[in-house]
Amino acid sequence: MTTPKPDLQPQPVDQPTKQRTWKARGRILSMPISVLAIWAALYIAASAIPALPVPGMGGMITLNAIMTAISGMILGPAAALANAAGGIVGMLLYPYGFSAGPLGFLTVTLGGLVAGLLFADRWLLAAILEVLVIGAWFVNPAARQTGMWLVPLPYSAIALIVILVKPIRVWIRKSILTLHKVYMWPAVFLMVCVGHSVEYLTTNDMVNWMYKLTWQYWVPTLPYWIGVDTVIILVSTAVGVGVLVGLRKARLPQFADTLEK
Amino acid sequence: MMNIDFASLSSPLQKLDGRTKLIALLGIFILALLFSQPYYVLGLLVLVLVIWWIGRLPWNLIKTILQFLLVIAIIILVVQIFFYPGKTNLVHISAPIKFIGFSGYITLEGLMFGIAMVLRLVVIMIVAPLMVMTTPLPEFMVALVKLKVPYRFAFIMTTALSLLPSIQNHAAIIQQAQLCRGITNFENKNLVTKLRAMAGLLVPLILGTFRDSQTLDVAMSSRAFGAPVKRTFLLESRLSAVDYIILVTTVLLLVAGIYLRIRGYGAL
Repeated sequence: MTTPKPDLQPQPVDQPTKQRTWKARGRILSMPISVLAIWAALYIAASAIPALPVPGMGGMITLNAIMTAISGMILGPAAALANAAGGIVGMLLYPYGFSAGPLGFLTVTLGGLVAGLLFADRWLLAAILEVLVIGAWFVNPAARQTGMWLVPLPYSAIALIVILVKPIRVWIRKSILTLHKVYMWPAVFLMVCVGHSVEYLTTNDMVNWMYKLTWQYWVPTLPYWIGVDTVIILVSTAVGVGVLVGLRKARLPQFADTLEK
Repeated sequence: MMNIDFASLSSPLQKLDGRTKLIALLGIFILALLFSQPYYVLGLLVLVLVIWWIGRLPWNLIKTILQFLLVIAIIILVVQIFFYPGKTNLVHISAPIKFIGFSGYITLEGLMFGIAMVLRLVVIMIVAPLMVMTTPLPEFMVALVKLKVPYRFAFIMTTALSLLPSIQNHAAIIQQAQLCRGITNFENKNLVTKLRAMAGLLVPLILGTFRDSQTLDVAMSSRAFGAPVKRTFLLESRLSAVDYIILVTTVLLLVAGIYLRIRGYGAL
């Protein structure tokens, strides 16, 4: 009778696999999916409310411009997904707010993404995207026409400075995260500039590629567009501050909570 | 908003798979961007209108869309007519005005290009309703998932749309409450005042709905959202023979369009 030889081969040891928790499964980029769905729904509702009648692209600017501008601070990079979901459905139901046709949702996606990345301190990615959006304007042959270099500059230049200059970037995040009573206002203003400038420049890029508008349209209307953008940014700042403070006081979920952890 | 009544709309397009409509929509969009010759874009517009007719969609919807596009269409047309660098002079307007880049003539090329761009705008804007008006959202979501769009993203879209009536109701209640407190700026003709009033509406609306998100979160967790199981769908979508014919036609049209553009046709 032979005794069975002990198995000398090393037994595979069960490696502890990284299990995703139920909580993680219900989240995207650390934001709960429920919050993203709520944001997308708010976005669609805002797409139905005309804010400014604009003699130009699409006929009018709707309240979703404000939602895009503040989304990055509230949802972080996940704002891109929530805006995209809201943008796609909003664009199908209320097409007048989207002058770039079926791809119009990309503009609001990028606006939320760049601001969200900046707020998550992924500044390099944010800078690359911002440069790509600005670059897309200058790659177009029409950008070599008289004064066309001016068109993307006003708020995109501010956005680029905010992203690239470390002390400003750090100060903005600190002021928003601590909800500083005074500094929070300019910090939110600058953050809103980033979100809004990316959205409007992406729209301009797409419209310029699609309809080949020349400098005779863009340059004379530039002061008008700066005025429209300024109003939207100022109102977005007021809404942004109100929402950020309200979310903190009511202990409701926001991206800043994940940063503090 | 486009009032979509899927039940009363009996359209052959409703029988098509969501994926087919989505791909055809993208195909038409790309074709519209490929050509800058008005005859080609006009051909595309005729195709879209024929599909519109086959789909038995209401014609007054096109009228509504065109009303929104009227101003931008006029701007595009005027800019191209006066400033497109053409060679064939049609109408003499004035002496050249160099500082605004006007040659003094309206050219044939400028006129053609302006018409092409306006037609492109119309095609791009009226093609989306062909899909929206004939595809209920659940079918649209299934189509997205079948096209490998992540389920969680499709879920966000579906949930957002189902939450929309409740949010609109919420907004109306807040507006009524503010009217009761004497805030009547919503109807103010001054745009800045109106925008400020809108800001006053948005903050409580966002905070109120974010509170509801916690209930949704609990509901999702209790239904085991994200469980690692094979997902099944209430609606099953299958491609029929007609779907395949339309998909092949779309691909052929796209290939033909790209070939024509490479050969130098379809552009001014």
